[in-house]
Amino acid sequence: MNKPLEIVIVGGGTAGWMTAAGLVGVLKPDQVKVRLVESDDIGTVGVGEATLPQMREFNDRIGIVESDMMRKTNATFKLGIEFRDWGFKGSNYHHPFGAHGHPIGGVGFHQQWTRARLAGQAADIGDYSYAIVASRRNRFDFPAEDKTAVNSTYDYAYHFDAGLYARYLRGWCESRGLTRTEGKVMEVKLDPVSGDVAAIVLESGEAITGDLFIDCSGFRGLIIGGALNGAFEDWTRWLPCDRALAVPTERSEDFTPYTRSTALEAGWQWRIPLQHRTGNGYVYSSAFISDDEAITRLMGNLDGKPLADPKPIRFKSGRRTASWKKNCIAIGLASGFLEPLESTSIYLTQIAVLTLLDLLPRRPIDPVLAEEFNRVVDNEYDRVRDFLILHYHATSRDDSELWRHCREMEIPDTLREKMALFGHRGHIAQYKDGLFSPPSWLSVFVGQGVLPTGYHPMADNLPLAAVLEEMEGIRTRVSDRVDAMPSHADFVRDYCAGEAPLKAMGAGA
Amino acid sequence: MNRRVEQVLVVGRDAAAWLSALALHRALGRTGVKVRVVEMPSLLTPADVYAAVPSLGALHALLGLDEAAVLEATRGLPVLGQRFANWSRAKAPFIHGYDTHRVALNDIDFLQFWVKARGEGMKVELEDFSLAAAAAKQGRSPVARDGDRPELPVSPGYHLDARAYVDLLRRTALQAGIEGRAADVRTVERKGDRIVSVTLADGMKVQADLFIDASGPAAVLAAGAPDAPFESWRRWFGADRILVASAPRLSPLPSFSQTAAFPAGWVGLYPLKDRTGLVAVYDSKVMSDQQVLEALPVLTGLPLAGDAAVEDFHPGARPPWSGNCVAIGPAAVSLEPLDAVQLHLIHTGLSTLIGLFPTEAKAMPEAEVYNRNMASHLGNIRDFLITHYALNQRFDEPVWDRARDMVLPEMLKTRLRVFAARGRVPLYEDESFQQQNWVQILIGHGLIPGAYDPMVDTVPVEEQMGKVRGLLARIAEEVAVMPSLETEFGGGAA
Repeated sequence: MNKPLEIVIVGGGTAGWMTAAGLVGVLKPDQVKVRLVESDDIGTVGVGEATLPQMREFNDRIGIVESDMMRKTNATFKLGIEFRDWGFKGSNYHHPFGAHGHPIGGVGFHQQWTRARLAGQAADIGDYSYAIVASRRNRFDFPAEDKTAVNSTYDYAYHFDAGLYARYLRGWCESRGLTRTEGKVMEVKLDPVSGDVAAIVLESGEAITGDLFIDCSGFRGLIIGGALNGAFEDWTRWLPCDRALAVPTERSEDFTPYTRSTALEAGWQWRIPLQHRTGNGYVYSSAFISDDEAITRLMGNLDGKPLADPKPIRFKSGRRTASWKKNCIAIGLASGFLEPLESTSIYLTQIAVLTLLDLLPRRPIDPVLAEEFNRVVDNEYDRVRDFLILHYHATSRDDSELWRHCREMEIPDTLREKMALFGHRGHIAQYKDGLFSPPSWLSVFVGQGVLPTGYHPMADNLPLAAVLEEMEGIRTRVSDRVDAMPSHADFVRDYCAGEAPLKAMGAGA
Repeated sequence: MNRRVEQVLVVGRDAAAWLSALALHRALGRTGVKVRVVEMPSLLTPADVYAAVPSLGALHALLGLDEAAVLEATRGLPVLGQRFANWSRAKAPFIHGYDTHRVALNDIDFLQFWVKARGEGMKVELEDFSLAAAAAKQGRSPVARDGDRPELPVSPGYHLDARAYVDLLRRTALQAGIEGRAADVRTVERKGDRIVSVTLADGMKVQADLFIDASGPAAVLAAGAPDAPFESWRRWFGADRILVASAPRLSPLPSFSQTAAFPAGWVGLYPLKDRTGLVAVYDSKVMSDQQVLEALPVLTGLPLAGDAAVEDFHPGARPPWSGNCVAIGPAAVSLEPLDAVQLHLIHTGLSTLIGLFPTEAKAMPEAEVYNRNMASHLGNIRDFLITHYALNQRFDEPVWDRARDMVLPEMLKTRLRVFAARGRVPLYEDESFQQQNWVQILIGHGLIPGAYDPMVDTVPVEEQMGKVRGLLARIAEEVAVMPSLETEFGGGAA
């Protein structure tokens, strides 16, 4: 057997520990020697408290037990995101983890819904979505196994304390033999011939060599952006927000099984309920509001007592032109940043880790693996980008400069075409890879006021009356079944009551 | 809402025309869309065969065509794969089998175990782990004569007598109430990028909201569209002739086609119940039509029966949807009949069209996304075909030396490089062929990955060996329960 591949992970936030867990959880020690270097002096950003359902696949793949993880991270369940004031002030919609209705007469539900709506006979599209109705009533239960049941038509994710999650993964990894090294990286040494990373040098003077370096150092991209001088593609022109303030509050009575995003004058505010507290934050554009005003706005807009001072975060939307360069792979914020509007941060980390596992190199590293890795990861970033821009662009808000700017800005051609085709006929492309699936696009299109003026001609294969009856049946079945669900608060208490202390662990929102 | 598409006129011939008419009628007939057909003179000869990958079964199900009835009417056969011979001088032939799943052990692609074992000296071919290939080699059939199918991870492809198939489609369409009129096209009246009417040779002028050009490579409607130029793919496909002929029936009936390379191109053998269809695709600068015809009995080991026919061939594609006209099948894309994709190309065009069937008669913004989706679908299929040429191992023959040296499309280049490095085929959007299909032809042509997935080493060696033996035993059992093709379909035709 060959000498194990030596992998050095630099940085121990969510990204670092997810990468470590992926490698340690799946591979054997004689195949890969993983070492993680982090410094307790460097805080982690951890804006990724809300996740996507795909996270469960990651946990399953590496063998994490859900209830255990939830208890130790004070986690709650998430059925989707509520968007307030996005389409216009006073508007409200949910992006659910699940379908709206089911196909009727050979076409997607939303085609028939559009037909009924144009005939003046459709209810709110959310009424036909199990995840949305359950969200509105603060209920939770696991989806049914029986795929024909109305309560099988949704999925779920988690809200958790990202700091606790990283700590949880750290314990999990260390119990499986991973070496953690405490220390700050002072220098990155490159091989003068190949240009590869040869070693990182710590404050202690220790030089750590390796075959592959994973840069999980966050925004600054210590290796990828620093030593390797990797280019960054700036997306500020479409996603103008560049700052955030995060503040935890006491747990509120309103224990929602969903994230709330409220559009404000210069950005938006998140609200993420955990078992021991609620995470809050204001993502804003410094071009449209001062930091002080932003603090005032956020603090005046909380539904619980603050547990800390707001913590400022600065960022730039975009991604590395190449996340894998030479023998360094950037994962997490070092590879790119997209604001947490659709909770994609941990998802993008997960994709990078799983793709790395799929393409795990041997010595010497074949450059084609880097090319393929970058193709997969870039595709994911680009698709999320378009979806985020849609939220900003498709709005009728004109009450502040930010929204006027976003309404009028040039958008990527890929997105413009998607909007045009949805508006024309409710068409939504289905991708093989990557986010987001058609139900997600549907909810945001409709929620933000992009309503189809036409529908698929095949919808007319069924008489309208029959369609309306079917739609009403779905609405009733959803409503009745949701009524039989336990409340989210009861469910969490019984299934995974938190073990973490009730006081917040720092402000890592 | 603006006025809807009510009148669809299919102008064309053969399978493309009648499949278009039937598919659109089935999808939209009840909504008031009226489909009519102008049937141009057929380009088919008695020797022609349609060979189809398994997706045709799904299309038939959608059209309400019963599999057993189709096979009966077309003297057709269900098949389990395609055998490739002589693409390498040194290597034995291989079978691309119609397995529906990739085989995996512990969620890791079986190929990875095979690559490792091969590196350690194991001699078993990858295709021995393909149920479809194993069953094909033993003359098994994926379906019984009455249409009954054992529940196994294979799905049938089809060989159909082309003329009989078109007759069946026409009959079915007319019975469904579709109006057909046999005529040639005299002129096409346009306004901007839209077609207003088509005037037939008999003087009749026909208007419609949407026109389907299913006229074959001549593309009588689509070729005249402004800004929809034909892109030649000659740089990847050197052959400029297709010759079809017939040979007597094989006995016992094989449940696979054979595609054999020869100095000027390749020759295909497609077993039917009562004859064997032969197709030669070649570069006429290397061998003349007459030379190919004379060589056929030697190349195939079969005597010719009946007349042969030759047509010119130019590979390439055009943007299929322009204005209010959509080109379907060979009017949109010309690919040689390698990999049995002719009918699949029609099917892909139709299913994409039905998904995007225009909501309005006047403006059709669907065209842009349709063209992009189709370009993506067709590019992937084209690259699958190119792969056979690119990986050939026939040295010192100009046609084949050139094919190995050609500059490949970028995406294919990446696919081959990633596979060579790691045994993993990147799959893009809009793929017709899946991982198991790609792997079979890549390995078959001798592209062996340089390294296997390290995940393989997470499975203990004894467990690996046990599972491999189990897999071979299971395949043997499954082959044993499949009926014999000769027994099921050979009767009465000998």
